[in-house]
Amino acid sequence: MVRWFMSLAAVVLGASVASAEVRLQGAGATFPNPIYQRWVTEYQKSHPDVKIDYQSIGSGGGIKGITEKTIDFAGSDAPMSKKELDAAGAPVVHIPTVAGSVVLAYNLPGFKGELKLTGPIVADIYLGKITRWNDAAIAAINPGVRLPASAITPAWRTDGSGTTFVFTNYLATQSDQYKETVGAGKQVKWPVGQGGKGNEGVTAVVQGTPGAIGYIEVNYANANKIPHALMQNKDGKYVKATPESVAAAGAGAVQQMDKSLAVDIWNQPGADSYPIAAFTYIIVYKDLGYLKDGAKAKALVDFLGWATTTGQSLASEMDYAPLAAPVQAKVKEAIGGLIWDGKPVLAAN
Amino acid sequence: MPATAPAQIELPPPAPPQSRRRREWSSIMQDRGLRLSSDTVLSWLTRGSSLAILGMLVTLLVVLTIAAVPSMKAYGLSFLTSSEWRPNELEQPRRGPDGKVVMEDGELVIETLPPQFGALPVIYGTAVSSALALLFAVPLSLGAALFLVRIAPRIKVSAPVSFLIEFLAAIPSIAYGIWGLFVLVPFLQGVEMSLHQSLAHVPGLHWMFYSTLQVGTSTVERPIAMTGRDMLCGGLILGIMVLPIITAVSRDVLSAVPRAQIEGTQALGATWWQSSWEMLRYSRSGLFGAIMLGLARASGETMAVTMVIGNNNQIVLSPFAPAQTMSSLLANEFAEASSELHRSALVQVALILLLMSLAFNVAARWLVVGKEARTAAAH
Repeated sequence: MVRWFMSLAAVVLGASVASAEVRLQGAGATFPNPIYQRWVTEYQKSHPDVKIDYQSIGSGGGIKGITEKTIDFAGSDAPMSKKELDAAGAPVVHIPTVAGSVVLAYNLPGFKGELKLTGPIVADIYLGKITRWNDAAIAAINPGVRLPASAITPAWRTDGSGTTFVFTNYLATQSDQYKETVGAGKQVKWPVGQGGKGNEGVTAVVQGTPGAIGYIEVNYANANKIPHALMQNKDGKYVKATPESVAAAGAGAVQQMDKSLAVDIWNQPGADSYPIAAFTYIIVYKDLGYLKDGAKAKALVDFLGWATTTGQSLASEMDYAPLAAPVQAKVKEAIGGLIWDGKPVLAAN
Repeated sequence: MPATAPAQIELPPPAPPQSRRRREWSSIMQDRGLRLSSDTVLSWLTRGSSLAILGMLVTLLVVLTIAAVPSMKAYGLSFLTSSEWRPNELEQPRRGPDGKVVMEDGELVIETLPPQFGALPVIYGTAVSSALALLFAVPLSLGAALFLVRIAPRIKVSAPVSFLIEFLAAIPSIAYGIWGLFVLVPFLQGVEMSLHQSLAHVPGLHWMFYSTLQVGTSTVERPIAMTGRDMLCGGLILGIMVLPIITAVSRDVLSAVPRAQIEGTQALGATWWQSSWEMLRYSRSGLFGAIMLGLARASGETMAVTMVIGNNNQIVLSPFAPAQTMSSLLANEFAEASSELHRSALVQVALILLLMSLAFNVAARWLVVGKEARTAAAH
């Protein structure tokens, strides 16, 4: 018995000594989780000595983790607020990894063709000012299609989420009344409609309620084949959410990326840009000293570099928008600025 | 201890009589200079365990209270009476007393409204959904308990039926939720839609199908969308979930009714129904305790309710309107609550929920145990 225990202990000890591998722990946003998991799998194929673990616990949890330095990198859909930056204590770097978009999914039984919507109309629907599908404002931009007279039930997320953050921030640019009465944030108090928890909850409301409209991530809408509306962009064009149109929105925002890469890419100019889009970020400290291990710092920088270049080719097939070339250049610069022991990690290689 | 333990396991001879074995044990202990008797050790271990459990409850209360302090400071008692739950900040142009926007140097003055947290809608949601649950579950449970005590033993189905009812209690909450979402919700939606068509214009029932809301500065009336995810569905799911516990406890309470009591009523010429009523009346405080236990479970139940109640922080009288309970609020919002005040407000909701459940459980225990003691005294 005793001998058995000892041999077991020896095996366990031996195993942990033998693996001198580098472990990186990340946590945060759920939206990019599918592609992060894919990246980790692919990256580890060529780097078997690096173990990366990403837990999708929510952006808030990720930011909390990196602030308390209990994780090595955080995933977040929303950039850190000024308050959160102050709490972090040291300069942090936001690295855009992919962009995503929010679409307006609808349930109109018998409706054929493509529904077009504008920002102000969507704002009025969510404010409870537009109540029927055959409202004059909707009919005016959808000539030649018959819209039913049924009531509109707006559906929204009940849990705090990056999706709501992007959607509400976009609406705030479209309607002053919306901005002043509902406002923007990861979670807001909606005056009308039905709530659902998560993309799946909102989708359930939309699919189960004739006349409903709801905002969900484009990946989720495509995976479940839910029709979604064309949105009018800043240039007045009606655009469908595709990896290309969202990447175009990201490219449109590149001139704002002077100091921080955390920029808003909703409502961007450009004939092809889809208006309700946002980057999702990996957040690390500029000085990687908190990792307490040079090998970890090197591995993290290498993984980030790989994900934002080679890894980008996986984005489109998973319905994320890849980073446009000018954005990639900015990201490369930012990763080059990460330091370990006073020196840039990349230059040391 | 760890070094000697395996050796001792090998020592005892095969199946010695109980008394001899005990003597051997103590003599081994004494041989090795261990004067501590096993009784003393066990007694301290059990004391430690019970204190640890008590300690957990106390630390839970302390930790929750400390975490809820920022919210208590910010809102005080108005936390319980305010129905505004808005986790985001609002930027509005400042308006003067005349309702016009204030201009300074030709520019709008923008003021930021801080987040606002009030728990009244979720307290209301918890109270109403639990009440609905009891409304569905109590008659069914009492009926089933009476059957189990009075009829089932005669036709020899007591054990299998009891087993099935107790099995219901072991089904995980999420399984009820999924069943609710895919079976109950579509069913209720169909029922509600036909109710809407047939009853919406009946005078006096208007409130069931319409809700009023604030759009800008005007109040408008809107038909409630019949989605099946509403207070009624939440109450129904909870009712099904508390059914086993109320049934099981009621069965035990009813079977504790002294035989003499039942036979006495029958001797006086009571019909089966009258003697059953007498049983229920006799054990009413115990049954009330069973219901309180069900209430405690209903008010704290989370996952299944979150999936079917519609999750809207509002107070609308209609059972067809979506609502939110305290526990579903926590399930929805805790993961992404990033501001300290939001977190603290949620913790305060959790604290209220904990204290409520505690009160229900204490009341139930007092009623059930009190009844049993009285019954025992009657024998």
